[in-house]
Parts: sequence; structure tokens; C-alpha cells
Amino acid sequence: MKLPLSWIRDYVDITEDIQTLCKKMVDIGLEIEEVTYLGEKVTNVKVCQIVDIKQHPNAERLLCCKVDIGGEIIPIVTNDHSVKVGNKVPVALHNANLHNGLHITKGKMRGEESFGMFCGPEELGINGDMYPNADVEGVLVLRDTAVVGEDIRGEVGIDDYIIDVNVTANRQDCNSVLGLAREIAVALGKTCKQPQIDYSESSVATTDLVQVIVEADDICRGYYMQGVTDVVIQKSPLWMTSRLAKVGLRGINNLVDITNFVLFEIGQPMHAFDYNDINDKTIVVRRAHQGEKLVPLDNKEYVLCCDDIVIADKNRAIGLAGIMGGANSGIKENTGCVLFESAAFARMNVRRTSHRLGLRSDSSARFEKGIETYTNNLGLSRALHLVQQLNCGKITRGRISVGTVAAERKIEFGVDRIEKILGIVIPDKRILGILSSLNIKATIKNGLLSCLVPPYRDDICRDCDIIEELIRVYGYDNISGTLLDKSRITCGGKTSDAKMTDRIKTVLTGMRYNECVFYPFAGIELFAKATADKVNADSYIKIVNPIGEELSFMNRELAPNMLQCVALNLARNNTDIRLFEVGKVYLADSLPLKEQPYEQLRLSMCNTGVTFENFRADVLQILHCYIDKGVKLLRSKSRVLHPGISADIYIDGVFCGYFGKIHPQVASNFDIGADCMYAELFMDKLIELKRGEIRFEPFAKYPSITRDFAFVCDEDVAAQDILDEFFALSLVENAKLFDVYRSEQLGDGKKSLAVSVVFRDKNKTLQDSDIEKQVNKVLKSIREKYSAVLR
Amino acid sequence: MTKIAEIKQRFEQDLSLCQTLLHLQDLKSKYLGKSGELTALLKGIRDLPAEERPVFGAKVNELRNQLESELAARTAVIKEEELKRRLADEKIDISLCDMQPWGALHPVTLVQNEICDLMIAMGFEVMSGPEIETDRYNFQALNIPFDHPARDMQDTFYLTDNLLLRTHTSPMQARYMERKKPPIKMICPGKVFRSDNDASHSPVFHQIEGLVVDKNVTLRDLKGTLEYLASHLFGQNTKVRFRPSFFPFTEPSVEVDLTCCNCGGKGCSLCKGTGWIEVLGAGMVNPYVLENCGIDSTEYNGYAFGMGLDRIAMIKYGIPDIRLLFENDVRLLRQFGK
Repeated sequence: MKLPLSWIRDYVDITEDIQTLCKKMVDIGLEIEEVTYLGEKVTNVKVCQIVDIKQHPNAERLLCCKVDIGGEIIPIVTNDHSVKVGNKVPVALHNANLHNGLHITKGKMRGEESFGMFCGPEELGINGDMYPNADVEGVLVLRDTAVVGEDIRGEVGIDDYIIDVNVTANRQDCNSVLGLAREIAVALGKTCKQPQIDYSESSVATTDLVQVIVEADDICRGYYMQGVTDVVIQKSPLWMTSRLAKVGLRGINNLVDITNFVLFEIGQPMHAFDYNDINDKTIVVRRAHQGEKLVPLDNKEYVLCCDDIVIADKNRAIGLAGIMGGANSGIKENTGCVLFESAAFARMNVRRTSHRLGLRSDSSARFEKGIETYTNNLGLSRALHLVQQLNCGKITRGRISVGTVAAERKIEFGVDRIEKILGIVIPDKRILGILSSLNIKATIKNGLLSCLVPPYRDDICRDCDIIEELIRVYGYDNISGTLLDKSRITCGGKTSDAKMTDRIKTVLTGMRYNECVFYPFAGIELFAKATADKVNADSYIKIVNPIGEELSFMNRELAPNMLQCVALNLARNNTDIRLFEVGKVYLADSLPLKEQPYEQLRLSMCNTGVTFENFRADVLQILHCYIDKGVKLLRSKSRVLHPGISADIYIDGVFCGYFGKIHPQVASNFDIGADCMYAELFMDKLIELKRGEIRFEPFAKYPSITRDFAFVCDEDVAAQDILDEFFALSLVENAKLFDVYRSEQLGDGKKSLAVSVVFRDKNKTLQDSDIEKQVNKVLKSIREKYSAVLR
Repeated sequence: MTKIAEIKQRFEQDLSLCQTLLHLQDLKSKYLGKSGELTALLKGIRDLPAEERPVFGAKVNELRNQLESELAARTAVIKEEELKRRLADEKIDISLCDMQPWGALHPVTLVQNEICDLMIAMGFEVMSGPEIETDRYNFQALNIPFDHPARDMQDTFYLTDNLLLRTHTSPMQARYMERKKPPIKMICPGKVFRSDNDASHSPVFHQIEGLVVDKNVTLRDLKGTLEYLASHLFGQNTKVRFRPSFFPFTEPSVEVDLTCCNCGGKGCSLCKGTGWIEVLGAGMVNPYVLENCGIDSTEYNGYAFGMGLDRIAMIKYGIPDIRLLFENDVRLLRQFGK
């Protein structure tokens, strides 16, 4: 809400400087976006009077003037031949700055001295709405009352501030000059004047002109109408157009300007219909018919639906309620009789219609924030007062009123409640004083606070709302901190899942991986880059109103974001990239989405400078945070990864993630080279794994026997399968692969696996003969299952 | 007897030539070994008359002791010389100190951890909640009905008419209160989503929600808690200022400013000359919200706050643009691996 300081002064006597005023406004809850001084760019420009004009001796197009700038006569050269001796005009003196960015210095023009320059309206940043005759191109001739030698800003009305106030969503009553004036008066401890709303009526009864039928009273809580006959359409006076200019509106004519004026001053959107255009003396407020067409004042045709509210006569719609009047009933040059409308249309309908049609207006913006029925009458009365003040016509007798007028709201509660919420005691006298300044009539009797809240404060409904009013005026600086010293002690902490996540992150940083944070949504194009498969958009949860196509689907994998990040880092010549993310993917049971989907917590890891074996060691190290056995690695089915150099992780038969080298196709899509290793682990599955209690186990009492075996087998035999055969034996404590050997002698497609196995019996010293039987059994099994024979 | 003196003399000579431990070993076996000279000498005792034997034996033993102690002394000297030589040989260049940083936690995680630790010390439980929320928890339970103007305050990403990406961490207030009875002290960090995208807004950012519900919780407690947080996050002299504001789920509602940690409140570019930086919104839990969650608002009250972790990380670490936090350039990340 843009608020001209000069307008506020109609209602509050402000003697404070602008900084103090703004601080006080902020302190009571009016957040200020920006303060603009209208004359900021115009400096060292004064009112002068021309005392002499002579033709320039060396230039036909120039005049040499002598001007009085208040006790001093200086020479000014001008090319504007319209100036006359005796004229008062603005003159920019040496080192003056102008609204259009010009900087003026004194100098000689074709040999004649000039101490500055005469100014026109544009150079001062004004127009004809703000100053008489300020629509001219050339030098602005000032009013006779202008005082010679004075700063020009006061004379032309730009010695004024515009305060841009960010009104919170609960305070619809503050979206007006009057509403803000009430608050500022409270902030400054002053009184707010009432708007002038008196007027006299003619003998013509409003009800003789028109009848109003509100069919849709569920979406129109109040509708008020009164007419003006013998209308004279003309230009509004400057005091009114200059106000409108400062909030960004051009003057149109007296009646339209009055509706705009009331909109900004009182916060009530108004509309004026040309009475001649209304058929059968009837105004109907109803829902639009499905497919009904209307051409509002912007002269475009809109197709309406039954959610829209229209103002109609007997035959046709003549206005889109709360948004814009119809072109078929607008004010014209020859309008002789008008009907003023002031109403409370339902904000959601206005909002939906305005958004659907893409048709916004100052009026719709107010209605979207909500209009109270209280303001309807006030706005209409103020408009009629202005009609009379501007001599626009005769006001009809009586007002057509449909709907109930909002009443004062009663709120009662124990005064001790204030201390219970705020923790401080505000003296009763101060409580009553504050409430009174807010126009809340209050009494305290036997500890009971009774309040009558004015109808325009629809945000105040119960005790806590009153308490907020008290403290914001009393001042939050009166609150000093305490540390919950009257509350019970509680046990804090993280859940075990969160602790585990913290631990994983710590371990990863110890392995020199850096943590990343990504958006959990992306575009199909990115998903498609991160797989060797085709991507089906229907399998992703879609955002209905995304910022852009590239941010429109919820992730089903962490890989796309991670790989894109690696690509970005490589493109910036960063090396040795080790990254991880703990993030969610969103897995719906069925699409379109019916209920909240499963949000699976995952860990992604990426490393650009490592072998598969070393990366596998990193991944296993992470798994070891959860478990120390039961891991099975199988060839991965992931289409992000290289089919031959990747693994799916199963723990006790549960699929827990995958890792390996990036698929060459994917690597090429991202242009990240072929050696990038990637892992994606399902943390929800890992967290479910039960880690046993830790118990000390005594050291082994009896010695172990270590035996080495070398097997010759086909290339595609998995070494872990051979080891697992040994692990299945009761006496085997450990088994490790310590060498892989290939040679011509072994033959093409063959390899030799060297395995070291540790045998131990908990209860006695093993003899060779004890393990012989087990060894023979396992060798036989390995030979049969894997065609692997001892070298 | 002359033989003894002769052996001694020869031994002295050999010992003086001895330079290494290996030589000493040889010397030891030559004189004192099983087939050494002293053993041979002792064997000759049988040729002596019986009365001379004890004297001779004693003399030989005396010699043995003498030789052993001289050998030992010499061994010690050579060992020390050898150690000195070895140490001199084993000198390497130790000057290089190429420090490899630890992997780093993301700056937002660092700030989040710091705040969690501070709040856990005050008895707060750390919770997490769903990012895809229902209209009910994100809005209605928080006193934001369908037609409430406050819905316009937050540009919401919708997935269906009823499901959305949570616009704040506040839904966890309602979820938590529904299943836990007072006393409640809870914080909930997490990602939140709004459809803005420019230099100071990201469509995804991080918040941490705080909620206390018990008997006798006041606005003073809210201020005290935030002062405690602020002084630990930004330094002992940080002051907290409340400004009136509006959130549908708190009443009274305040915006909370801290004295600018960059200029200490004098005014600088970070705080746009005001000396204050706005870091969070807070207030006393609106009784409607308590009642929506089945808590008796006449008996219990509480406070709630929600702050942007990204903004705090940016202020704390001097990161100028929120987009840097989501870009994950390792040159930024590695700076946090300390």
C-alpha cells in the first residue's frame, strides 16, 4: 500500500520527522518496504520572477532574461519565447539536479552569461494532475501565489514522501489511507480525525430510480446504492487529482476520480453506473450464467461461469462484481444520472474470477484481501460527500441497503490471562488506555476485561487477539527473556534414525566426501540423461504448478541431480570430486497421486578418481556402520550403471541399493568421462537392520591353522562364491582372496584364484586331521558347482 | 701363567682392531666360545699338578671375567656408533605439508547441527516430517482455512487439490501435538518449498521449527530461548528484537531481528544500514491450533518459531547468494571441511 504522507496529514497531525514516523510505524507492526521522497531528484531549483527579457545579441532563437530569485537578480538564457516579464517560473540554479537526471551548471550561451535554466513540468517530475497547466511542453508558468526565492518542491507538491507499507494479511482494514491513519495515530499517541461524510439529499427518492435484488446473498454480504441526478461531468480539482497522481492514477473525470479516491482513502472499492443504461430500473446481483459474455471497461470480451458474480439489469450483465464495470453502463461525457454502488463481495469469488480471466484492478485487489460491510456505508457516504463538495450533482434521498451491517464484537476474559501469555503485568490503566486508542471500548471489573471491538477489526476475535493488540502498542521492548523457568524438564535428543544418519555423514566426511544439497524435483530431460533406458513421465509425481518444466517432477532417484552436479564441477575444472547427498525420493503406490507417497531416505555417493575395488571398499565401509555380515553383491540391474562393473546390494536378502561405474551412455550424456563411480543406498532399509547388542567376546584360547588354496576356474566365476563355500564350514573363521592370476598356461578365459583360509576350534587345538574332512567336502562342492579345480 | 698373560695381550690387540658388532661376535667365540682359547686353556688344567690347579682355575676365570666386561664395554661403544651412523643416514625431507581437507558437511547441515545441539541441551526432541503434506496439516490445522488471505502469503506447489509440498515446517507442530501430550519441546528441521526463484529466494530452502507447549509458557520464555540461540550462533553480544507481525498459527506473532553480526548493530550493507537482520518468525501458539490438536488451551499454552537455516548459514559464513548453497561447487563445500 503506497501512502502519501500529505494524505495521512488530513487525518493525523504529524509533527515527527520521517525517520521517527517510520520507526514508530514499524514498532506497532506496519512493515515498511520503502520510503520515497518525491522531490529527491530535484535539488537547487527555486521560484523566480522574470524582471527583464531581451533578445540574445548573437542568437535569434535565444532570449536573455534577468530574474529575481529573492533579493538577487541573475541572468538566465532561454530558448522558450513564451515567457513574459512578470512570470513566476522554476529556475534550476548552479549545480541543480532535475527529475530527468539533468545536472545544471552556470555558463555562457553564445557569449551571454546564464546562471541556470528555466524548467518545465517533466524536469520537475509533475503533470497536469498535480499542478495547474503542467501539461505544457515548455517552461512551467507558476501560480501568482508562488513565493519568489522559495524551493520549488513545496510549490509544485513534490515536497512529499510516499511510504510503501507492507500490510499483513490479517489487517485488510489497513489497506487504505484512513486505516493506516488510525494505526499511525495510535503509534504517535495522537487522535485520528474522522472522514467527512455529511451531505444533503434532494427530494428524488433513490427507490424511485431503482430497485436492487441480491439473488446471490451467500457471495454478496452487503450491497448499498444511492444515486446522483443532474450530473455535471468535468475535470476534478487539483487537490484531488494530485492525491491520485501520487498513488499512481491519472485523473479521468470527477465521478470516476471520486470512486478511485474513496478506494484509496477509505479502502472501499466503488462503482458508478450510468443510470440511462440500466433497463427496467432494476439492479440484480447474481451468479453469472455458464457461458455468459461481458465486455468490461477494458473493451475485451470475457466468457463467464457460474462461480463469477455479476451486476445485471433485467436483461444483461452490466458489471463484473468487484473487478470492473461493464462497457455498456460506464460513465460518459453526457452522463446525466449515476448510481453509486458500494458492496461486500465474497473475496474468494472475486479472487478466482480475477485470476481465471487474468483481469486485475485496484478494486479486485482490495476485494481479494477482504472488505468488511462496515466500510460499505462509510465509503458510499464519503463518495457522496465528495460529490457535493465537487458540485457534481444532486444526491438522491435515502439509501438502498441490502445485508446486515457489521456490529461491534464483544470479547471478555480474565485480565490475568494477559500475564499468563506475555509473562509481564501491564497496569490496568494502561490496558484501558491502549484499547481506547484502538477504538476498543473496554472496562475492567473484578478482574474481568470486557471489550467491544469496532466492526472494521474483523481480525480481533478472542482473548489472544486483544493481548496482541496490547503488547504491540505497549511495546515488545518491555519484554525481557526468561528460559522456560516455570516449565517442566523434558528429555531432548534425536531419534536413533537421525543419529545413524549423522554417523553416516561423519564417516563419509572422514573418507573425504563432501555433502551436497539438491532440489528434490527436476525435469524429465535430466532424468532421461541419467539412465541408459527410456524414461516414462507417467511414473513420476508431477507438480501441478511448477516454476518451469525443468523443475516439475519429484525425484525417484538421487542420481540425476548428483551426476549433473559432478558435470558442473568438472566443467569448472574442479578435480578429485567426492560427493554425497542424504535425500529423499518420492515413490507413489499409484498415479495419479491419491495419498501421501512414500518418502524414501537415500544416500548417494559419487567419486571421480577411484577404481571399482576402492569404491566398493568405501561403500562396504558405509554398510559396516549398520552391519558386519550378510551382504551379498549381485550384478546390478540399474540402468544408471555399467552392466559389467556394478553391483546390487542385498543384505539378508533385502535389496538395499546399488553401486558401480557410471554407464558409458550416461557418462557421455553428462560429458563426465567414463571413470566416475556412483552409489545409491536405501537408508530406510539399512536403518531397519537390527544391529545386535555389543558384548565382549573373550579372545580365542586355542591356535588357528591357516591353509592356502589356488583354484583354476572360468573367468566368470565369482570369487565371493568360492569364499562363501568356505564360510559355510563350521571350523572356518575367515577366508580371503589374496591373488588372482592369469597366464597362457592356464588358457584363455581361465583364471587362478588364491584363497587363504583360517580354521579354528573354540574348544581345542586343531590338528590337520580335524580339518581334512571339511576341506575335502568343500573342494568337492567347489569342483562340482564352479568347475574350479585345485592347481 | 705366561699363557694367560699372552692371551690377554693378544685379546687386547684384537679388540683394539675391532670395528663392528660382527667382529666382536667373532672375537667372543675366538676367546670365550666352546672351542675358544680360554676353554682350551682350561682343558690344559689336567696337566698341572693338583695343588696348582685351583690357583690356575681362578686365574683363568678372572681372565674370562675381564675379557667379558671389556667385550661388553666395547659392544656398547660400537652399538652407539652404529646408531649414530644409521640416524645420520636415515634423514629425509620432512618439510612438505599439503593438508588435505576432511570431507565437509554442507553449511546448512552445519548450522542445523549447531542449532539442534543447542536445543537438545534445553530438552528439545528433534523430529522430522513428510515433505509432501496434506492441505490439512500444512494449512487447516494451523488456522489457515481454504479462503484465508494468509494462503496468498506463501506460493504453494500443489501435487493434487489436497497434496502439496509443505510451505513450512509448521505442519510438524500439529502432527506432533496430536500424538504427544504436554510438556512438549520439539524442533523439526527440514526442506520447505515455495514457488519463488530469484537471488534472495530459492524454491527449496530449509527451516527449523520450534514448539513448546506446557503450563506457564510465556512470551518472555520465547524471547529468552531465542536470545540463548542467538548468542551461541552469532556471539555473546547479539541482541534480539521483536516486531509485531502476523502468522495465522501464532497470536501474538512477531518477526524477530538480531543485531547485525557483521557490524554489531552500527549499520552496514548486510543489514541495509538498519543494524538489525530479520532471521525468523515466532509467536505464542494460537489457541485455535492447540484446540485443533486436542490440547486444552485454557490449561496449556506455548510458543513456536520457524527460522530459515539457509539464511542463517549465509549470514554466519558470509555466503552472498542462496543459489550457491544448492549449486554444490566443491570449491565452496571444501571450505567447510575443518
